[in-house]
Amino acid sequence: MNHDIPVDQLGPQGEIMAHAIDACVHCGFCLPACPTYTLLGDEMDSPRGRIFLMKEVLEGELPLMDAAPHLDRCLGCMGCVTACPSGVPYGELITSFRGWSEPQRQRTPFDKAKRTAILKALPAPKLFSVAARVGQYAKPLAPLLPDALKSPLDLLPEHVPAMVNLPRFTPAQGTKRARVAFLVGCAQQALAPNFNAATLRVLARNGVEVVIPEGQGCCGAAALHTGAREEALKLARANLAAFNPDQYDAVLSNAAGCGAGLKEYPEVLHGLPDEAAAKALAAKVMDISTFLARLSEDGGLEPFMPASRPLSIAYHDACHLAHAQGIRAEPRALLKMIPGVSVLEVPQGDLCCGSAGTYNLEQPALAAELGERKARNVLSVQPDMVASGNIGCHTQIQSHLRRQDSGVPIHHTIEILDLAYRGLL
Amino acid sequence: MSLFNRRKPEKLGLSTNSSVSKPRSTDAPHGPLAAELTRLLGPQKVLSAPAERLNYGYDAILVGKTPLCVVLAESTQDVVTAVKSAKAAGVPIVGRGAASGLSGGAAPLQESLVISFTRMTRLDIFAERREARAQAGVITLAVSEAARPHSLVYPPDPASFRTSTIGGNLGENAGGPMCFKYGVSGDYVRGLQFVDVDGDVHELTRDAYDLAGLLIGSEGTLGFITEATLRLVAPPRFTRTLMSHFAEVGQAAEAVSQAIAAGAVPAKLEFMDRACTNAVEDYLGIGLPREAEAVLLVDTDGEDLATVEEELALVEAACLAHGGTVRRAEGELESAALWRARRSISPALGRIRPQRMNEDIVVPRSALPEVVREIRALGEASGFHLVQFGHIGDGNLHPNILFDPRKESSEKVHELAYQVALVALRHGGVLSGEHGIGAMKRPFMRDAVDPVTLGALWAVKRALDPQERLNPGKVLPGDTDLPHGSAHASS
Repeated sequence: MNHDIPVDQLGPQGEIMAHAIDACVHCGFCLPACPTYTLLGDEMDSPRGRIFLMKEVLEGELPLMDAAPHLDRCLGCMGCVTACPSGVPYGELITSFRGWSEPQRQRTPFDKAKRTAILKALPAPKLFSVAARVGQYAKPLAPLLPDALKSPLDLLPEHVPAMVNLPRFTPAQGTKRARVAFLVGCAQQALAPNFNAATLRVLARNGVEVVIPEGQGCCGAAALHTGAREEALKLARANLAAFNPDQYDAVLSNAAGCGAGLKEYPEVLHGLPDEAAAKALAAKVMDISTFLARLSEDGGLEPFMPASRPLSIAYHDACHLAHAQGIRAEPRALLKMIPGVSVLEVPQGDLCCGSAGTYNLEQPALAAELGERKARNVLSVQPDMVASGNIGCHTQIQSHLRRQDSGVPIHHTIEILDLAYRGLL
Repeated sequence: MSLFNRRKPEKLGLSTNSSVSKPRSTDAPHGPLAAELTRLLGPQKVLSAPAERLNYGYDAILVGKTPLCVVLAESTQDVVTAVKSAKAAGVPIVGRGAASGLSGGAAPLQESLVISFTRMTRLDIFAERREARAQAGVITLAVSEAARPHSLVYPPDPASFRTSTIGGNLGENAGGPMCFKYGVSGDYVRGLQFVDVDGDVHELTRDAYDLAGLLIGSEGTLGFITEATLRLVAPPRFTRTLMSHFAEVGQAAEAVSQAIAAGAVPAKLEFMDRACTNAVEDYLGIGLPREAEAVLLVDTDGEDLATVEEELALVEAACLAHGGTVRRAEGELESAALWRARRSISPALGRIRPQRMNEDIVVPRSALPEVVREIRALGEASGFHLVQFGHIGDGNLHPNILFDPRKESSEKVHELAYQVALVALRHGGVLSGEHGIGAMKRPFMRDAVDPVTLGALWAVKRALDPQERLNPGKVLPGDTDLPHGSAHASS
């Protein structure tokens, strides 16, 4: 796309944005891959439309506030990146644009307070856990509350589990095959502590020594994707200090969004002194499913106990695994290794479930529509169980399955592997 | 080759008619037409704020003029209302589907009302009659997806079929790889509903005067197709796919001529040159032969496996005879990956240069080897990236000139495009196989159509749209149009 953007005045992030806009040939292949376009049927709420709007704002032709409603409706799911033959790095564009434009946004005091609350609570698992517990008791009050407060309550599980203290070091069982560092995530520590416990058990059983480095924190993806760039930089630098990539064979995450977040560090720090360190870390970052799939290819995994009955598992592609990291085959392959398990494909599987980080807090109506659609599609293949690799998708799909009166359970892929190892599947 | 690891293409959410409440513009309507339409249709169907209108000025090749106002029609009645209001206001009207077209057909050239059909997505399948009734905004692929449970399909398959709409396809009479054996979009129309320039609704069949045929390919210059009755067919029981690559483009064309002369009727027969192959391989990474100067992709299909295999063998023999290296796809997954690669070519060219002038020539098959060689030579002499791909089975080629408007002269690009068009005409060819004339190829029309015929086309236009309110500046060259080279893509 032709543009007239004053690139030099925008700094290193300007180059990223201009490059992405250059690469767009406005073919429209992204339209059906965009969840908001499929809901709204208008061009401004499509990736191609948003690229055009960002271009106009950056050129100074359009006031930011005019474009903002449409840009805010973008889930950042990256479905368009998969669909884009001309290779537009849309994720880098929208992220950089949000960071660039946030300081110029005029927000209402309520909006500001909500953003601050979300961005403070998310990276602080203990605070989040307290909030979740309070929320749990507020659930019966939900019908009385405004939408902005109702949506987070809807997502809370019936029972908020106790937080688990994770060991800093987990030794490998048997012969040591690898040494990895593990990013434990934020919200999932409060909402689904078993994800991490299962991860440690599965890794140890396969001869992997796991270190949970001190000083690590939130990956910063939620801050970055909502335009809180300074906050994101701070969080990124803390993790760069905590994870020394030279000491590990890999740096693992079991949350699609966080893994993708770590891999974004080189773009976040583009043109800054820590860019090289960011690249070194990003090169070592791997999703748990990729790591296990490689381990399986390179000497095999410990054998799984068969499922107690034939199990059909619907695998849900988390956007930040499938679209952001290109990870699709690995989790499916791992699940299929369990004797008795078959994997079902979810219709419209490329479309986001509507969770998308903080999206269901910010755009509750669209998020609910997408969640409802996802749950319907999942149920249409009549699975015994649902698997996904991301805490956000997990809570969203769980909540919408429940709303459709379904008792089908959802688990993280790693939990299912763990259950199989323990003979509990 | 890693072709085997590709997963099956999944179904997309191919509808835009969700019941979710549509956000409305917070601004007051801009201008009297927008105000009137907002009064009649409600604020959720009318866009007039700059940030909204801006997005309705482009298609997949051209950035035209930002419209005055946009109606997101949800029914034929909405279209009628919009047409009547625009007529009363004296404002031109441009119809728009997904705007994935490649001739500028959906890009307004003057301040207009744009009617967008993307929310008109009702689709009914009548399996016993082997018919579908689709509103204009139904996504092309959605027809086959809905028909497949009834063991039926809708064959027209333009490369953008996951995005493009039925209304847009009929407006441009779109083709696609399947068209070699199965015909273009218009061949599947049994009836049309259309709204004329006065806002009257017509139901057309193919009987008597084939007015439906007149509307097909008219690019919104005669009226607006709002619904279509489409013919569905049973999909072939067997399909086989073959890829062959060559050290020289002309060899591929010769192989095509020989295969068809020998009696093979492939379902699809596609060609891409080296630059195209590499651009797509950069996107998909499925192991395409990067070093080859030309690649042919071929499907044969039918009810009888022996015949399907025999046809594939004829193509294979022709490829081998002309120096090709042949590889048969082993199964549906590999075949699906190869066809996805083919569909991705056009946008993937954006990886080479940000802008392009694309052509859609059709030449007699016997002339193909000479034509591809001449076009290649023109490209080499010009210093531009001139790439070629297309539906070579029916002689339909898409030479594309790739350029960077900031560094290269658009005028030279247009001059080269004109030279390419002349190669086609010199060999007895025509300018447009499937993309339509639109704005991009309109100036070449005087070279392609004799004055008497042009006069007849103008007479039709004036009968149906006397004041030239419908998609002005498209298809038919005006009196002031130079013979060639005056339209500039401003993408």
